[in-house]
Amino acid sequence: MTDEMPPETGGSGQWGVVALAWVLVGVPLLWGVWNTLLKAAALFR
Amino acid sequence: MPALLARERIVAKPGFNRWLVPPAALAIHLSIGMAYGFSVFWLPLSRAVGVTQPIPCPDSMGFLARMFASQCDWKISTLGWMYTLFFVFLGSSAAVFGRWLEHAGPRKAGVVAAFCWGGGFLLSALGVHLHQIWLLWLGSGIIGGCGLGLGYISPVSTLIKWFPDRRGMATGMAIMGFGGGAMIGAPLADILMKHYATAASVGVKETFLTMGAIYFVAMLAGAFGYRVPPPDWKPAGWVPPVKQGSMITSRHVHVDRAWRTPQFWLLWGVLCLNVSAGIGVIGMASPMIQEVFGGRLIELPGIPFTQLGEAQKAQLATVGAAFAALLSLFNIAGRIGWASLSDVIGRKRTYLIFFALGGALYALVPTAGQGGNVTLFVAIFCLILTMYGGGFATIPAYLADIFGTQFVGAIHGRLLTAWSAAGVLGPVLVNYIREFQIDRGVPAAQAYNVTMYVLVALLVVGFFCNLALRPVAERHYMSEDELSSERGLVAAASRA
Repeated sequence: MTDEMPPETGGSGQWGVVALAWVLVGVPLLWGVWNTLLKAAALFR
Repeated sequence: MPALLARERIVAKPGFNRWLVPPAALAIHLSIGMAYGFSVFWLPLSRAVGVTQPIPCPDSMGFLARMFASQCDWKISTLGWMYTLFFVFLGSSAAVFGRWLEHAGPRKAGVVAAFCWGGGFLLSALGVHLHQIWLLWLGSGIIGGCGLGLGYISPVSTLIKWFPDRRGMATGMAIMGFGGGAMIGAPLADILMKHYATAASVGVKETFLTMGAIYFVAMLAGAFGYRVPPPDWKPAGWVPPVKQGSMITSRHVHVDRAWRTPQFWLLWGVLCLNVSAGIGVIGMASPMIQEVFGGRLIELPGIPFTQLGEAQKAQLATVGAAFAALLSLFNIAGRIGWASLSDVIGRKRTYLIFFALGGALYALVPTAGQGGNVTLFVAIFCLILTMYGGGFATIPAYLADIFGTQFVGAIHGRLLTAWSAAGVLGPVLVNYIREFQIDRGVPAAQAYNVTMYVLVALLVVGFFCNLALRPVAERHYMSEDELSSERGLVAAASRA
């Protein structure tokens, strides 16, 4: 199975664009998770 | 050429990679997820006029006069109405506009959601500037609430069509974003309010303007990133499983027929009961850990909560906030984790686990509290929260399994009224039971126990609702003619 459009319709993949799109949403999300982890750490002190 | 926002315009071209759709959906869900983090504004807004200290309105001032008063500060309970408006309008707009979304396409819905959510912030900024609470309710609560509903359901149908082989994982990724939005938005709002605060302003107006602009751009980027697959597209090499009596249909039920089936109302009950129990437990978690364990949490074992001083209670409140933060992490982890697992074990089994294991865990909470085992207590709550999040994230895939994919966005929209109902049922149930117990002289720490058992009862009912689910009766499915006609309507609407 491929995650791209079927080969019979052409297509090359766009994996670079995919990576960029994930970085754009992933970085803020990780920043939020990191902040939350820092806050949650008070529970284990 | 089709209009910029038309569905026809966003049919994926050869070479499009389906993994571009989840980040587009996440951009929208991470933005609207800030709805959960709005409480970060309550304290600063409660002293928007007084700046350093709240200026209370005179006791003689009536409700209507307070709505338009600009010389005295708002109470936190008044501001808290925003949450009610958020979730009522989320459910209502998703139910009302879901059908429109199926025809108009996700891009148009995403753009409208961006205008509502971003515009709601701008109107709220004006409300802060003029100090008119009704403008905040209208801006963020009502208009923003409609943006929440449209934004929430905008990617569901598209993701399910792109990932027929991993429906749960795909929608789980987007809905995880809704759970994670406040993790980004709340600390960002805090930073911005500190940056904009002056001797004459608490900085909320400027923060609303900035965040409104950020969310507007992020949501537009997400909406313009949406692509829909060509009709009947399948991942290469993937063969839809065909199993007699399977809970996954390859046919479709019309939205106007779906809500008349028992399956719709059983799923409505499944979502409502799972969310009611979850909301109830979330509301109790932080005060409960403080009141049940008291001094034990701050190295003063043996001293109950009621005998602690103000400084010690402040220390405990920090621990309570840390506990709430930890739970929010497990909430979002559960969204992607359980929804992905449901692709492997099936949706019905996943919800059976939520209700059976969840019920057992809720029932175990009082024992863990009485045993004084903080680690066990925290672990139980964390696991419960994964199932609360998992319940939200798995439901779109469950709907697609039962009713097919043609109208799944619209059916999901109508099902979200269960969330609105749970938003009222959960807190009301928990608060009334607790007050009733305390009025009868039950100690605060023990008053939680009965509440937990009532929540277990909700989960038992949910268990049987889920158990009763069967495939939809043959007569409810759309005929080939109806399906072709509907697809023709979608194509016509998308060109409009």
